[in-house]
Amino acid sequence: MIGVYREFEGCMKLLGHVLRRLPVLALPPVAESLTRQIYFTGASATAGIVLRGAFIGTFIIAYVIDVLDANAALAIKILVWVVLREIGPLIAAVLVIQRSGTAVTTELALMQISGEVASLRQMRIDPRDYLVVPRVLGIAVSTAALTFFVQVIAVGGGILLSSLSIEASLGELVSEFFVLASPVDFVYAMIKSFLFGAAIALVCCYHGLHPPGTSINAVPKAAINGVTQSTLLVLLLNVVFAYLVFGQVLFGLVTAKL
Amino acid sequence: MSQAEPTAQRDAGSAASPQGVALGYEPRPDRASERIWIPIGGSHCVPGLSEFRRKSLVSAVLEVDPSPQTRLVLLGVDVDGLRPAGRAALRRRIAYLPADGGLLSNLNAWENIVLPIGFHHPRQLHGVAARVMDLLDGLADDPRALLAKLPERMTPYEKKLTGYVRIALEKPDLVLAEEQQGGLDSAERAAANRFPAAYLARCPGGTYVQLEIASGP
Repeated sequence: MIGVYREFEGCMKLLGHVLRRLPVLALPPVAESLTRQIYFTGASATAGIVLRGAFIGTFIIAYVIDVLDANAALAIKILVWVVLREIGPLIAAVLVIQRSGTAVTTELALMQISGEVASLRQMRIDPRDYLVVPRVLGIAVSTAALTFFVQVIAVGGGILLSSLSIEASLGELVSEFFVLASPVDFVYAMIKSFLFGAAIALVCCYHGLHPPGTSINAVPKAAINGVTQSTLLVLLLNVVFAYLVFGQVLFGLVTAKL
Repeated sequence: MSQAEPTAQRDAGSAASPQGVALGYEPRPDRASERIWIPIGGSHCVPGLSEFRRKSLVSAVLEVDPSPQTRLVLLGVDVDGLRPAGRAALRRRIAYLPADGGLLSNLNAWENIVLPIGFHHPRQLHGVAARVMDLLDGLADDPRALLAKLPERMTPYEKKLTGYVRIALEKPDLVLAEEQQGGLDSAERAAANRFPAAYLARCPGGTYVQLEIASGP
């Protein structure tokens, strides 16, 4: 219990440092590190996320039409509710944890164990400024961008498939979509994804900078801690968002009187 | 280069004024054999340090914060009476060169060299390439090839050289260099021996201190 509290406190302190030290992003080495992080987390993950997004959109529409025997309006409604608001941010977060979360934790833990973090201190560079600030912002921005891709591809793929499999034209489905979807859905998903990304990066950076030992065995342990705890935190944040925005969580089991 | 001999150190010590001292490190109560007392200016060697003493000394100097049992003098200032702002100002005038150069493995030599400049003096980045080439002149066979290398592809000498160029760029008043000869062949040792002179040619008032670890148990 004390360990959990310490980790939470450590992550909160790291968050405080990141917010206070955002101006370091103007320094050339930090800006370069931010660009690298956005490239690694965002740009190089795009192909994978596009594929997953297309599968999900197609799967949801096929399932709704085949199993629920639904019409176009219901199919689009479900697409909007599920993909735009929930699945899009979650799929992007899972992909970011898989790729960047493990990479960041492992890299930082190795740097800590091999003395490279100490080298930064010897150069009078705060490791949190150079290693954590650009990673947190880079991963947060990339997660939001990946969510947008998932939404566009999944919704686009779903609508395309619907037009081929049910008696509704592509134009009808698209106009139905624009009636049901509102910009608020996109903004909500973007804010949520940004916070998911920041949470993933913070937890992974914390565990990378605090590996449970000084031997090489500490590196996979740090990676496991980073991945499991960031997954848990993303799910927790999702519940909090659902409660705050829709007034209910766990599919309506807990309802707020808003 | 002068060696910080214990006999020479005995004349100085706890009662001595910190003025004119680049690095003073003495345990309390005073043990003359463990005292290090190095004047400002020139190149000096502290031989026969145990691993424990080296770590204590380096940690005290880099944190500008000695343990309660130690007196620390840096660049003519007794650290004991200093406020945090004064310690930070003093720390900016000191550079440390670890035995392996202290490089980051995911950055090439050029990126490693300009990292502290980019952090502490970003406006100086424009003219830095010429200064780096000037510092490498005569110390590297092929400076351009070296600058493109990642640490995993460098020889121990190239790592030390990259680390040296990185600290020399900032023109510190005191350089603490560790195990400068370790792991080098005779030609590389001769080249590494030129680091202090090259530094002093560019920083005439500076002090270059080499820490040599005692061999054996």
